[in-house]
Amino acid sequence: MPIIQTRDLRKVFRSVRRRPGALGALRTLFSRDYEERVAVDGVTMSLEAGELVGYIGPNGAGKSTTIKMLTGILVPTSGSVDVAGIVPYEHRKDNARNIGVVFGQRSQLYWDLPLVESFELLRAIYGIPQSTYKRNLAEFVSLLQMDDFLRTPVRQLSLGQRMRGDFAAALLHDPKIVYLDEPTIGLDVVAKEAIREFIARINAERGTTIILTTHDLADVERLCRRIVLIDRGTIIYDGDVERIKNEYGRFRHLVLRFEEPVERPQLPGAELEESAGVRARFRFDRNRERADLLIREASERYKLEDVTLEEPDLEAIIRRIYVEGYESRTEETVS
Amino acid sequence: MEVLTEVGSLVLRVYLLRALWTALYAQNAAPMNLPLHSMITYATVALLMSLILEVDGTRLIREKIREGTIATDLMKPISVPLYFFSDGVGQTLLHAVLVVPSLAFALLMVHVDVPPPATLAAFAFSFLLGYCVNFFLNFLMNSIAFWTLETFAVQLIVRWVSDLLSGQIIPLTFFPGIFGRLVFGLPFAAIYSTPLLIYVGVIPASQWMTYFAVQILWLALFGALSTFVWRAASRRVVIQGG
Ligand SMILES: Nc1ncnc2c1ncn2[C@@H]1O[C@H](COP(=O)(O)OP(=O)(O)OP(=O)(O)O)[C@@H](O)[C@H]1O
Ligand SMILES: [Mg+2]
Repeated sequence: MPIIQTRDLRKVFRSVRRRPGALGALRTLFSRDYEERVAVDGVTMSLEAGELVGYIGPNGAGKSTTIKMLTGILVPTSGSVDVAGIVPYEHRKDNARNIGVVFGQRSQLYWDLPLVESFELLRAIYGIPQSTYKRNLAEFVSLLQMDDFLRTPVRQLSLGQRMRGDFAAALLHDPKIVYLDEPTIGLDVVAKEAIREFIARINAERGTTIILTTHDLADVERLCRRIVLIDRGTIIYDGDVERIKNEYGRFRHLVLRFEEPVERPQLPGAELEESAGVRARFRFDRNRERADLLIREASERYKLEDVTLEEPDLEAIIRRIYVEGYESRTEETVS
Repeated sequence: MEVLTEVGSLVLRVYLLRALWTALYAQNAAPMNLPLHSMITYATVALLMSLILEVDGTRLIREKIREGTIATDLMKPISVPLYFFSDGVGQTLLHAVLVVPSLAFALLMVHVDVPPPATLAAFAFSFLLGYCVNFFLNFLMNSIAFWTLETFAVQLIVRWVSDLLSGQIIPLTFFPGIFGRLVFGLPFAAIYSTPLLIYVGVIPASQWMTYFAVQILWLALFGALSTFVWRAASRRVVIQGG
């Protein structure tokens, strides 16, 4: 049985159309003139317990809106949603006990309090048993290296420190499900890696179900086996990261480094894309040629110093889907 | 430092009130059977009450809706209205700490009647009811933000009306004729007027229960209305930003 299940989930925002000017402002008060914006347009998805799914889509696609409906703070316009057997917007408080949330763009910590006081407050709010609290806090403090700023007021924390605090805050009560909405936004490379490591660990060790929204596809490559792609409120792809890579990654690249410069190197079955001195980059059709045979052929022809086989790049694939839209490429691959 | 300014401004206001009422009474002796010393007591106690009642815990609602931070509270297993109430009480208590020294000062400066303990207890109870009525009134007012995000105009009008009709500035017994009777029928009277009139003895012990009942009625009505509004509001809450 899936732990999260939505069916034809829709959210339409209705806002009063504003009129310019002072008189306009007055008329706005009484106006019945609405502007409608469909943010989520029939999303059906289901997650099994313990899954870690990347929820990906361009700006304004409806990701945050979906997540808000899963937390119960937004009521869907239509469709159904079920999270661990609870309809979130009907039983917001019960649902809140099952979930943990990190919104990268806003903090749930108490601005004026030292970090650890925020944690204490959360312990009281969720009624976390003292032993669980101590164990979790100790673990998070060491994993996220928070000792240095545990007593610092949240307002004085750097973005990266605050984000680590937010992760701990979201997980103290051992939630079954965690929503992460852009949790690596604005972090440096080291901090990003630390957070990814942490997410992977929570998912693996605690079996926490995680929905991860991000614009950094390295997060997805590192963490997710499955992605759900959403565009203009509609799901356009739901499946393995590997599959989309295979579908879109028909062409691969082989980069050769020679011991001495080679003028226009040739490789049967592969097409030279660029070459400069000791370096050459070939493109080949994965369905027609085998990489190992190409490499052997190359080593017979030239003195090689190094060979790199470039993996299909998720970012390039996703970029292409955003621009061109998604269509299954399985047929193309077969032909 | 904050305590000092607070006390300073309070002492000044008590002094001005006394001067004002003394001057007014010199023109027109004892309107409505309220002698000058009772009037000064009334005004001083009203001022001290306002220090507590003007702390508006529910103002948070408006700010949180505007900035979208209410999302964070809604994602916790808590009753959000209760959270606002506790926050208000907390702020009030903090404020009360500042009020106590002011109180001592004010009492030294002007002569304030201190009623017998039973009356004092009745006043305290009535004040508690008034505090809650005031909370729900503020809550309803700030909840308008769920619908329009702009609540300033409404708040200003209600504030103005309530200042005048709650008995905070002028005892409601001073209002003439039918209007005088009408204002007692409004919810604002439950906030300042009832506790104050109990304090100065205008409402005799025999009528306490009736006045409590009216206060409780308003409290129940506003409480029910707030619950209803909160239900409706949280169904249509739109979280800003994202
Ligand atoms: N409170 C609101 N009122 C009106 N429209 C809204 C509101 N919140 C979101 N929208 C609209 O709904 C659509 C989806 O927004 P949402 O925040 O879900 O996008 P997103 O996928 O999270 O984008 P991003 O990657 O930029 O965070 C957008 O067109 C947005 O303008
Ligand atoms: Mg978003």
